Amino acid sequence: MAEQEKIKSEVPLLIPRSCESTLTNMTGSWRFLMPRYEEKTAPCSTACPAGEDIGRIEMLTTQGLFKEAWETILRENPFPAVCGRVCYHPCENRCNRGEFDDAIAIHSIERFLADAASRNEFKPSIEKLPSKKQKIAVVGAGPSGLAAAYFLTLLGYICDVFEAMPEAGGVLRWGIPLYRLPISVLRNEIAHIESVGVRIHTGKCISKSFLDEAHNQYSAVFMGCGHSRTRGLNIPGENMDGLEDGIAFLGKVRQGETPSFDGSVAVIGGGNTAVDVARSVLRLGGKSILVYRRRRQDMPAFDQEIHMALEEGVEIRELLAPVKVEKNGREYTLTVQPMRVAGTDTDGRAAIEPDNEMTQEIIVQRIFKAIGEEAAEDWYNPPGEKEKSLTLKNSVLIPRSQGAVLVIGGDLTNQTKSVVHAVASGKEAAIALDILFQEGSEAVESRLKDYVVGNGPSLSMEVYMAGPRSEREKHIVEYDEINTDYFELAPRVTQPRLLIEERRKTFEEIDLKISANVAIREAERCFNCGLCNQCDNCYLFCPDLSIQKDDSSQGRHINYDYCKGCGICVVECPRNAMVLEEEGT
Amino acid sequence: MELNVLDEEYMTSGHVACPGCGAAIAMRFFLKAVGDKTIIVLPACCWSIIAGPYPQSTVKVPVIHSAFETGGAVASGVRAALDMKGDTETTVVTWAGDGGTFDIGFQALSGAVERNEDFIYVCYDNEAYMNTGIQRSSSTPYGAWTTTTPGDEWKKLRKKNIVEVLVAHRIPYAATANIAFPEDLVRKAKKAQSIKGSKFLHIFASCPTGWRIPSESSIKIARIAVQTNIFPLYEVEDGVKYTINYKPKEFPVSEYFKLQGRFQHLTDEDMKHIQKMVDEDWALLLRKAGERP
Repeated sequence: MAEQEKIKSEVPLLIPRSCESTLTNMTGSWRFLMPRYEEKTAPCSTACPAGEDIGRIEMLTTQGLFKEAWETILRENPFPAVCGRVCYHPCENRCNRGEFDDAIAIHSIERFLADAASRNEFKPSIEKLPSKKQKIAVVGAGPSGLAAAYFLTLLGYICDVFEAMPEAGGVLRWGIPLYRLPISVLRNEIAHIESVGVRIHTGKCISKSFLDEAHNQYSAVFMGCGHSRTRGLNIPGENMDGLEDGIAFLGKVRQGETPSFDGSVAVIGGGNTAVDVARSVLRLGGKSILVYRRRRQDMPAFDQEIHMALEEGVEIRELLAPVKVEKNGREYTLTVQPMRVAGTDTDGRAAIEPDNEMTQEIIVQRIFKAIGEEAAEDWYNPPGEKEKSLTLKNSVLIPRSQGAVLVIGGDLTNQTKSVVHAVASGKEAAIALDILFQEGSEAVESRLKDYVVGNGPSLSMEVYMAGPRSEREKHIVEYDEINTDYFELAPRVTQPRLLIEERRKTFEEIDLKISANVAIREAERCFNCGLCNQCDNCYLFCPDLSIQKDDSSQGRHINYDYCKGCGICVVECPRNAMVLEEEGT
Repeated sequence: MELNVLDEEYMTSGHVACPGCGAAIAMRFFLKAVGDKTIIVLPACCWSIIAGPYPQSTVKVPVIHSAFETGGAVASGVRAALDMKGDTETTVVTWAGDGGTFDIGFQALSGAVERNEDFIYVCYDNEAYMNTGIQRSSSTPYGAWTTTTPGDEWKKLRKKNIVEVLVAHRIPYAATANIAFPEDLVRKAKKAQSIKGSKFLHIFASCPTGWRIPSESSIKIARIAVQTNIFPLYEVEDGVKYTINYKPKEFPVSEYFKLQGRFQHLTDEDMKHIQKMVDEDWALLLRKAGERP
């Protein structure tokens, strides 16, 4: 030891030792490209007529934040439990994951969240603006009317909803069969709408004179009376006893009647009503034959509904146009003209013409007409040229100088007659009215454009109310912009369903529940296109340690003192929530 | 991505690596894995510059800059000194480039591991002498342009398989790792730290400057090297027990080559030849790992 000490004192340690960090080198000055966090728009959310923030809903579901995920739906749509069941989910057709393996089962997750909220009795906390002085009347408590009232209430207006039937819900209550939408589910959602402050008056049928007197009490009237009268076939024999309206039949069944059927039943039409009637008849013991004048692929009914109808045993006879109906004792003879495809119609469906002179006869026990519905009263419809009006995407706004402002929406104006389009209509009407009251009717059209999701036409109430979503770029993320190296192939959840044998016998709901685990796993498949889900790739791969965590909502920021602008963070962001720009732009 | 390491950083910003430098990312992950009870021996390489000129240092652990050929020897000395002090806790790491490992420092490395010195030798491999101006090394892959294999004289020799060389020394642990696979890299660094004796980590670290690639694709290209089987991720224990850590998607090698300026001259014919070599090497590795008879 002594010797070591001696060496130490005699031989000085002449090694240069660094004692500073490199933090004095501001390497940010090298940068000519600048990365930046920038959230963008997911394609699903633009495809959703209600503009739901789907990418975020799935992200919150992944994190187990079911209440927050459910509230995120409620900001854009008061009917998650209904739409999770009956919506034809156009969102899933635009899902980028579809190009990778299979689209996310967005509707299954939506339904799961709504069911979880109901099971856990969540009370939503949704932003509501301070009260405003205007009162608004809503005619019809169907999906469009209730949506309009809900969104107007969130915007601070007082809303009275008038409904002719003894219970609210419109087509959801009196049209859509129970096997697609159980009654408790609907009642639960209507209760939520009432809990934000919407006042629903049932059993109040509104007459035309109401419109003229409304301005005494109301600043605006929203007409969402829907289409409830079956259109005529214009063929001999159609008005004879025993030929029933499809929509009226569905209403009776929903009122609790259970007529029984025996033998063949013809349902004329190709829309959702026709399919619902055919499937209901089947459940009541009949054999359903759907008679449609175009081809199966031209049917306006939603694909999935047609598919399930076929599974259950509904027979579809396509390219047959009804010519006349005759009664033979207890049976009916439906004479049909075979048709053939002759080019394409303006709406993309097949144009048809008679195939030959020969007609066919279909002998059945009962016949239902379901070729589409129209407004029950002519004055429900938009006035056309008669009055100055603004035709919006899903509603018509009539800023009358005398009397209350009139908005017509829902099925009365919508091109696509679906529940989610009705919600879109209610939302559009609510935002349009708010703009009209504050800035006048001239501002409506141009200002509405500011609140579209992506390139529209879906509108976002969260964006309108200047929530965090309003900071997102409108750019719609494409599949090529996703870094798929961070995703693994995973099968889409298969929706558990009642067995076909059971489905034929009962009006029990067909689609069964999925568990929380399954819902989370499905939500994890979501790319969350354009949204930061805090994956930390940017932070991890930064060679310059210039991404620093903080308490902001982003959770991190880029320290431009040191960022050399290499751009790795942007390329390694799996979901395109960053952007690389030239310095100084 | 969860790395299962502390948020602690053992590097600071302001280092002078080129934008997108894979070697800087490699060091950051490695230090996160092994922690600050570490002494780094740094023979001449890009990192000699990145670490900072005197009196700066970008890493928060002691670094000894050493001569090019002495990575293995200096580490042996540091280890011996620590042992004399009774310090068995500190991890000694040689952090060398491919030139300092495959070529110039090869004898010192071979000697140190033959003695089974207790240290980790990390070669971060950017496949040429990048720091001095992109001269080819014995790690430069077949087909690559460098300043010493320019034009038609592109390198027509295979890359030396350094892991197999080390495995032949029967050291306790040898593994490949890649900056695009941080979880795997961190796990291997921790594993190496936990084993006594000589450990060798071969970390694939892309070089935007020398490879003629855009800096933002640095990680992407490193990832494709694994996905195409050009740089398989595997580890070998005691010179015999092979484990393949990642079963790649087996993209064609052209996916890797087409993104890099240094390979732009390669024809389809060359690509086929390279694919054959890569397939051959992969088959050999599968056999060694007992996954193919």
